Amino acid sequence: MTTKQLTTVTVNGRVYKREVEPRLTLADFLRYELHLGGTHLGCEHGVCGVCTVLIDGRASRSCLTLAVQADGAQVTTIEGLRNRETGQLHPIQQAFVDEHGLQCGFCTPGFIMTTLELLGDNPDPSDAEITEALGGNLCRCTGYETILKSVRLAAERLRGGRLAARTSA
Amino acid sequence: MATELPRLPEQLPTSSVRYVGKEVKRIEDPALVSGTTEFIDNLELPGMLHCAILRSPHPHARIVKVDASAAEALEGVAAVLTPEDVKRWANAHVTSPAGWGTHCVAIDKVLYVGEPVAAVAAVSRALAEDACELIEVEYEILPPVGTAAAALAPDAPVIWGEHGTNVIQQRTYNWGEVDRVFAEADHVITNSFRWNRCGANPTETFGCVCQWDLTDNSLLCHGAYQVPGFWGLARSFSLNLPANKVRVISHPQGGAFGGKGGARGTDIAALLSRKTGGLPVKYIEDRMEYLLAGSSQSWDRHYEASLAVKADGTITGLKVKLLDDQGATTETYGTISVAKPLAAFTGNYRIEAARYDTTLVVTNRAPAAPYRGYGPPPHFFVLENLVDMAARKLAMDPAELRRINYIRPEQFPYTIPSGNEYDSGDYEAVLDKVLKLADYQALRREQAAARARGRLVGISVVSTVEPGVFDWNAYATVGVQGIGVPEGARVSVDILGNITVVVGFNLQGQGQFTVAAQVVADYFGVDMNAVKVTMASTDAAPPHFGQGGSRLGVAITGAVLGACQKLEADFKRVVAHLMGGLPVDAIELMDGRFRIKANPAVGMTVAEVAGTMLGRSDLLPPGMEPNPSATSVWTAPGRNMPDDQGRCRSYLTAANATHVVMVEIDKETGRTEILKYFIVDDCGTRLNPANVEGQLQGAVAQGVGAALLEEYVYDEQANPLVTTFADYLMPSIHEVPITKRDFIVTPSPVTPLGAKGCGEGAIHTTPAAVVCAINDALAPLGVEITETPATPLRVWKLLKQAGAAG
Repeated sequence: MTTKQLTTVTVNGRVYKREVEPRLTLADFLRYELHLGGTHLGCEHGVCGVCTVLIDGRASRSCLTLAVQADGAQVTTIEGLRNRETGQLHPIQQAFVDEHGLQCGFCTPGFIMTTLELLGDNPDPSDAEITEALGGNLCRCTGYETILKSVRLAAERLRGGRLAARTSA
Repeated sequence: MATELPRLPEQLPTSSVRYVGKEVKRIEDPALVSGTTEFIDNLELPGMLHCAILRSPHPHARIVKVDASAAEALEGVAAVLTPEDVKRWANAHVTSPAGWGTHCVAIDKVLYVGEPVAAVAAVSRALAEDACELIEVEYEILPPVGTAAAALAPDAPVIWGEHGTNVIQQRTYNWGEVDRVFAEADHVITNSFRWNRCGANPTETFGCVCQWDLTDNSLLCHGAYQVPGFWGLARSFSLNLPANKVRVISHPQGGAFGGKGGARGTDIAALLSRKTGGLPVKYIEDRMEYLLAGSSQSWDRHYEASLAVKADGTITGLKVKLLDDQGATTETYGTISVAKPLAAFTGNYRIEAARYDTTLVVTNRAPAAPYRGYGPPPHFFVLENLVDMAARKLAMDPAELRRINYIRPEQFPYTIPSGNEYDSGDYEAVLDKVLKLADYQALRREQAAARARGRLVGISVVSTVEPGVFDWNAYATVGVQGIGVPEGARVSVDILGNITVVVGFNLQGQGQFTVAAQVVADYFGVDMNAVKVTMASTDAAPPHFGQGGSRLGVAITGAVLGACQKLEADFKRVVAHLMGGLPVDAIELMDGRFRIKANPAVGMTVAEVAGTMLGRSDLLPPGMEPNPSATSVWTAPGRNMPDDQGRCRSYLTAANATHVVMVEIDKETGRTEILKYFIVDDCGTRLNPANVEGQLQGAVAQGVGAALLEEYVYDEQANPLVTTFADYLMPSIHEVPITKRDFIVTPSPVTPLGAKGCGEGAIHTTPAAVVCAINDALAPLGVEITETPATPLRVWKLLKQAGAAG
């Protein structure tokens, strides 16, 4: 057992202060300390991407990040996307529903968070750019086709309904 | 029973089908994309403890001593489960064949790396893992059995002393005049094949929270349970409890694909709860535990197989000799995957005679588990490669060789030599459609041009059957008992007309809750999203099985329709009575209204009838219960006992597909790239087409993984060399081809609404199709690959052997 450290993390706009063990991962911090269960764990060794969250806007593996490393950071999780009052889905979430971009849904928060970063950086990604961005997220159900379509649709909607200028690289 | 259900969507009591067969959005999805679905690790209970398991580092060893005193003394540890506890409280797991199951924690010796030897319940998982490190286990190392061949060696160590042999079962099935057709064949194509272990790997591993109630000696298990009632029953055996004292609450699952066992984890968490006096104990299997010894590994197979072929291409016989490595125990139901090929042994073809020679052995590898398809995927990898080898021998186009051997449409229902009956199909129509979709002749020209430039390009045309809607009789040959797999649904209407469907299983990804809502909505003319579908725990649910065997879509449709019909009959009685005592058959249901046939303007809505039943009992027919609720339990009709050669009507439906695949092999590295991929399939009525397409494409991904990437590697001493996703290569978006697809619909004549099982789908076809394409690419070099996965190294070795490596 080691001495706990005071850690301050802003998650989905809300500030949390907790005394945590240095070995506690950010994923476990979010899930068990803050009870934000939407960030799932698939491998806990950084391969599958299921646990992806945004740390200061960058898609990151919360299973490979210690909570203490996120001290002072802004973290965005899947819980931060939906409209809190109305429950209305974020356009990326709605696109995954509309294009059947999920089956069991366990990996989906990770894909959506990766997509959130991608479309923030590049509102009009080509298929090759989408594929490159999603290459670190594993899905065992869909075979990726509908996920690709979901990201295309989300990009289109977030650009205000204009058709994607490039559908393939 | 089933014969009275609607055979096609058009027979539903609606003038216009709005949901069934239409592409609808799944009712499951808004919660899943929001991260609010309660997967098991999201469940927290007051006072809950966390479990960690200490596992064997040895493939085969006697346990001399387990000293848990230091672990028990650690602050925050509530209990340590030792072999002594397990001996006192638990039984060995029930298996088929009987007698090859161990306890949840090894009690005298360990049989594989990763087998639990002790477990800890503590205030956190991290602390429980700390405590595991303090447990001292003294082992006496025993010689391991590393391979199936080693298991059969005369001087092999015997893993199960009480059996005196490493052979679980040796059985040969003869169907028809096998020796005659082989003697009369113009060509006999013979080869050996090796399918290495791969497996399910759902993104969520197994997890549970168990609580033992010491007051009435009962057990509550929350968990990622694929088949809740079945798991509950098994716990009653392993934990010495009456079955009605085991209550299972299944949580939504992050996939399963058959490979989500939880017997050991559940028993361990349950016994830890018992030992702590009844506190809830959570066990979440981590990925490394899963890869090492979860229900993660399937199909460890060595084949020798032969095809008898006439000069004109007629295939007359198939012989398959299988040596199957089940790993250390059979408690994860791996044996069943040896039995299942009987349901589709000869694939799409009119092969008159066949022999299946099976030897199932134990080794010190992890126990073999089910995986999507449950046995036929490796079998079809063998059969379809043999068909391609025959085509090369005869210099025939592989598509045309298949065409002349297909079962013809007018021959259905068709009984195959191994006994199962295929319900319907039109294989040639599927073939024609996929050849056109692929522009097959153009692909062949493209291949010829590529070959002329020295490139290794190959094409395959592979056809398979998907046995759908399993029944237990399919597994009788390995000791499974029983006929019939009940699946129930309860449909209830409340006082305001809202409809709820209660089922016995939970979400897993295939969208069956949506299917239930579609059927009810069309039956009673309500909005699909107004239908609530919910799961009941095992103590309250109707008889059920859950997901498995490409069955649940058909089965839940049957159950929901049956319940709707019962409600319809009761509601008609009420309406007939209220309309002045008309005969019941003067009333009909159409578009959500119970109306007088002779005067359709007069009628009552579903809500009005239900409201009357629950709120105005004085108006009901004499003797009628105020109960607008009905339960129906469906099972496949017409199933029968197997004969002495294992022959029976087992799987109810036979979907089929033909895949056309084009690959290129890189001479420098041996790496295979899938250039083009085309699919046409026929699974009868597509209840929710988007679901079906998703199942298909997803199964392609798993098939590509099995064909090219995924392998559980062991050394000769049964030490696992693959324990992370860095070693076990899961297909990513970069490796999975986006397939071009089309379909035909031959409605099943024997199922509700004409749907056929389609949940396992393309994994039957893709591994064979990819490897056949690789072999087509390699054919000019005179080498072929007969082992999965066709990794770059394996292919490169063949290129080198042929003098063609770059």
